[in-house]
Amino acid sequence: MPLDWTGTPGALLNPLLAASVGLWLTLLALRLVAALVAVWRATPVAPGLRRASLWAGRALGLVTCAYVLAGMILPAGTTGIVGGVIARFAPAILTVATVIGLSVGLRRRLGVFGLPFHSTVGTIGAALVLFWVVTALLYGGFGLIATHDPLRPISSLRNALPGSPVPEAGLYPHYLLGGDSLARDVFSRMVAGSVIVLTIAPLATLTAVLVGLSLGLPAGYLGGWTDRVLSFAANLILAFPVILLFYLLVTPEVASSALPPVMAAVLFGAPLAFVAVLVHSRLRTQPGRNALTLAAVLVPLAWLWAAVVSQAGTPVTFLPARLDPLDPDRGLLVVFVAVVFVNAPIVFRIVRGLTLDIRTRDYVAAARTRGETPAYIMLWEVLPNARGPLIVDTCLRIGYTTILLGTLGFFGLGLPPESPDWGSTINEGRKLLLVYVHPALPPAAALLSLVLGLNLLADGLREQSMADR
Amino acid sequence: MTPLLAIQGLSVTFATRDRLLPAVTDLTLTIAAGEALALVGESGCGKSTVAAAILRDLGPSGRITGGTVRLDGQDLSTLSPAALRAIRGRRIVMVQQDPMASLNPAMTVGAQLAEVPMIHEGVSRAAAMVRARAIVADVQLPDPDRILRSYPHQLSGGQQQRIVIAMALMSRPSLLILDEPTTALDVTVEAAVVQLVKDLCRSQGTALLFITHNLGLVLDVCDRICVMYAGEVVEAGPARAVFDAMRHPYTQALFRAIPVPAASRDHRPLVTIPGTMPQPDALPPGCRFAPRCAHAVAGLCDAGPVPLLPVRPGATTLDTRRAALPHMTRCLRHTAIEWDAAPTAFDPQPRTAPGPVVLRVAGLHTHYPVARSLFARGRAQVVRANTDVTFDLHAGETLAVVGESGSGKSTLARVLTGLVTATAGQVRFHDRPIGGVPVADRDPATVAAIQMVFQNPADTLNPSVSVGRQIQRALTVFRIGRNTADRQERMLGLLDRVRLPRSAADRLPRHLSGGQRQRVGIARAFAGTPQVVVADEPVSALDVSVQAAITDLLIDMQARHGTALLFISHDLGIVRYLADRVLVMYLGYVVEAGSTAQVFAPPYHPYTEALLSAVPIADTGVKRRQVILQGDVPSAVNPPPGCPFQTRCHRKDQVPGDLCDRMLPDLRTLPGGGQIRCHLPDAVLAAMTPVIAGTDAAG
Repeated sequence: MPLDWTGTPGALLNPLLAASVGLWLTLLALRLVAALVAVWRATPVAPGLRRASLWAGRALGLVTCAYVLAGMILPAGTTGIVGGVIARFAPAILTVATVIGLSVGLRRRLGVFGLPFHSTVGTIGAALVLFWVVTALLYGGFGLIATHDPLRPISSLRNALPGSPVPEAGLYPHYLLGGDSLARDVFSRMVAGSVIVLTIAPLATLTAVLVGLSLGLPAGYLGGWTDRVLSFAANLILAFPVILLFYLLVTPEVASSALPPVMAAVLFGAPLAFVAVLVHSRLRTQPGRNALTLAAVLVPLAWLWAAVVSQAGTPVTFLPARLDPLDPDRGLLVVFVAVVFVNAPIVFRIVRGLTLDIRTRDYVAAARTRGETPAYIMLWEVLPNARGPLIVDTCLRIGYTTILLGTLGFFGLGLPPESPDWGSTINEGRKLLLVYVHPALPPAAALLSLVLGLNLLADGLREQSMADR
Repeated sequence: MTPLLAIQGLSVTFATRDRLLPAVTDLTLTIAAGEALALVGESGCGKSTVAAAILRDLGPSGRITGGTVRLDGQDLSTLSPAALRAIRGRRIVMVQQDPMASLNPAMTVGAQLAEVPMIHEGVSRAAAMVRARAIVADVQLPDPDRILRSYPHQLSGGQQQRIVIAMALMSRPSLLILDEPTTALDVTVEAAVVQLVKDLCRSQGTALLFITHNLGLVLDVCDRICVMYAGEVVEAGPARAVFDAMRHPYTQALFRAIPVPAASRDHRPLVTIPGTMPQPDALPPGCRFAPRCAHAVAGLCDAGPVPLLPVRPGATTLDTRRAALPHMTRCLRHTAIEWDAAPTAFDPQPRTAPGPVVLRVAGLHTHYPVARSLFARGRAQVVRANTDVTFDLHAGETLAVVGESGSGKSTLARVLTGLVTATAGQVRFHDRPIGGVPVADRDPATVAAIQMVFQNPADTLNPSVSVGRQIQRALTVFRIGRNTADRQERMLGLLDRVRLPRSAADRLPRHLSGGQRQRVGIARAFAGTPQVVVADEPVSALDVSVQAAITDLLIDMQARHGTALLFISHDLGIVRYLADRVLVMYLGYVVEAGSTAQVFAPPYHPYTEALLSAVPIADTGVKRRQVILQGDVPSAVNPPPGCPFQTRCHRKDQVPGDLCDRMLPDLRTLPGGGQIRCHLPDAVLAAMTPVIAGTDAAG
């Protein structure tokens, strides 16, 4: 028997939900109009409206909580699709609720990590991001949450509607959010996709930020010729049609040449160089400690770099197979190159701007008068003081990268076609969008909520970094 | 007669995330029409909050929790926002510290000035422009038509502040509030702006609320004075009465912490105020100054709130027509304290005899290229920041470099520390030439030997690194100490020497006050036992009470290490206090040089004369000759021909012929031993009288 949307609790909660949503939206609209009128007539807004809309918002929150509670407490099958999804997500929801509750309570003692929890916006953002991080961890680590194998089709459930019963025994009894055109479970694919998105997006963004930093700091600090050349290059890349580059990278002739591995070597070498300069500039006056620290940091990093870059069967193979446990997918390299290409010039400009400001400060002059090297000043005097805006920007940028990942998947670039990542799934669902909407919507909603969460988190962090000044 | 502005029992609190902070408590003051009242106090005492409360512009977190503010008897707190707007900018006008913050950078000066009568009085644009031109002439700006057409960024700081004052006076307000209007300006410009405000207010009958920390200016401008401390008025009364007979320990301590150019440190040692102002959330129960007060008596001063008491019980007010309050003080022991007793002072370090020459500068020229695009025509332009600067610096002595901004004194500091390289001339440290050697190419010993103390306490320390680690880093770079533990111990020793608690080592700079940060900056500069320390205006951004402490610390550190100190300042009071010798710089040239006594006594270079006369002095016993300089420092890209000072010189007509226009004067040695760069004939020089004459000016 197929599931309906809200099951038994829906009979009571659906009308309540409709009422509270309607009331809240109406009051919000009224408040907006009142605020505009108040600006026009230069009078303060009546506080009654504000209070009313706050209460309506709280009512809406309560009804939502009621759905969640019903989904977790009542037996599966009686609570409909919504209840089923909530019940599957229960471990993630409970973890997030605990972590957020503790963080809000202890925000003063958490230092930097407590910052987002001082504002509502930041807390909501952190909760959304954390929800997907926990989901990815629980699925990737323990196989929880998903109902079916995201890659295995059940042929009778091709394009099945949400709540369709599964004919095979021993499996979860329903396709909660329906089946896709290859008869795989849409819900499980969305959950599995979170793992891919949440490993690649932050890593790729971090690489891009590191590349942007390594170029932006010298451009801003040294100025002159260095700045002119690097800024011009950044402008050139920003003006370049990047889609063309992506297609070039996946054409077989280019893909089999030495170009992609060489690019990978350079790209993944940037963090290596960055760390080396970081350590050396700090410890240059103490040769013993310098060598020791450099070795301790660089040997594992160099091995990691070699393992990622060297790949059997390509022109770049230099590591013996025994030492080479990592063979990342070739498509992944395209993703990294794409992300770095699109983001590094923007990060570069931000870092350069911040550096131009910070290098005029007296503490930079003080560092110069005690004979520090430019590298030390850039990495240890300038960079720590540019961190506020950079952290905010990196949060936003992870969001953009997630969307870019989706875009790449949408063009069939990057990841393998059966990958459950959200971009590829949306692309898959697009083909039959006019007939079957349900395969495309869940990954789109997941993407939206993650990016929204990252943006809100960035807003919350920005608010706090402003308040501290 | 009702006063123009009457504030009765005003209390203001600010709400932070988790508590309420009282900023002003129970403040009462009146200003009569046409009267000038000074509100004096250190930063954080609540004086700017009073101004904001008058205009009810406290922001979202500030709230008036008690009292009334009446303008002409009308309670401003009952007014509607629209009625309040009609008063702001028309009856009450405010001038802020930073003129650029009050000017719209995207509008011409003329359009901004014309807006005032167009908005408040509805006059036509043409009529408004006519009035704008008239007022620009009133504030003594040259070439009013050009000024009206220019944008704010095309004017100098002094000109911008004049425009802001012109804009304020445009609507002929009843009350003008000036919030530290001259703090960002040079002394000579400050003197002219203050004079201007005083004259304009007299002629228009505008009342003045003058908020400042500079006691000297108060005496020049104001009829009455209100001294604030930690949100309260501690002393109030007619300005001269208060200055002649201070009756609150805080006022007296503030006064004794200011160096005056009439006395050296051997005659009038500075007295520092111990401790810091209490935070608004930790106010002491009784007298708020008691914890820092040398006269406080336990059981009396800390028992409960102290009321404002009249200094002479039953005394009638001095001027009943103005309804002025008599001299009042918030001190319970004001009759018991021996006010004229000499201060038990910090023991001035005996001056050490100057040692051998450590630094020799001869014929130094420093030019900066002006950035220009590929398509600019003509010859490459340069800023001539230093021209033909020559001096010696001996071990253990203090050489002060004095001049307005743009005089090239900071460039000199940058050349010595290697941040900039000299274009021509010799700079020798012992026997090593260093003028052309950037700091990156100097060996660590030389780098450690020439260190610098910076001006801005907010900027001098890296905000992300703990204080201890910053000092330790200096030790590491100078290769001092065997290992990390040893350097840690030395760092703690340095903290002791600059009188900071050892616990400060783990704090971030933002947890320290401005004075404490400056102490860390000094500790860092002295980490490598330097032979030369260049201090670039090290105290000018600090409160007066802190200035004295930091100055004394510098003297102390210098005496302890036998360091030569190159002290850059525009504050002649401090220069007189600590310098052995003085260089006066103008537009990159040294215009006068000599021992402190020689420079501060006639004959003067006309520029030194003007600088000395511009210093406001908070002492009614000191008389000053007024010399007000017109105009601004010319551009160093395009210096005037002949004498660099000829465009502003008030004695140019005493030089025969057009010598000043044609020829650069040589730095010549006077019979008394000082050197000046001036064409004035010996007879004129010999006839000069002292600028400052007073009780102990002879020293």
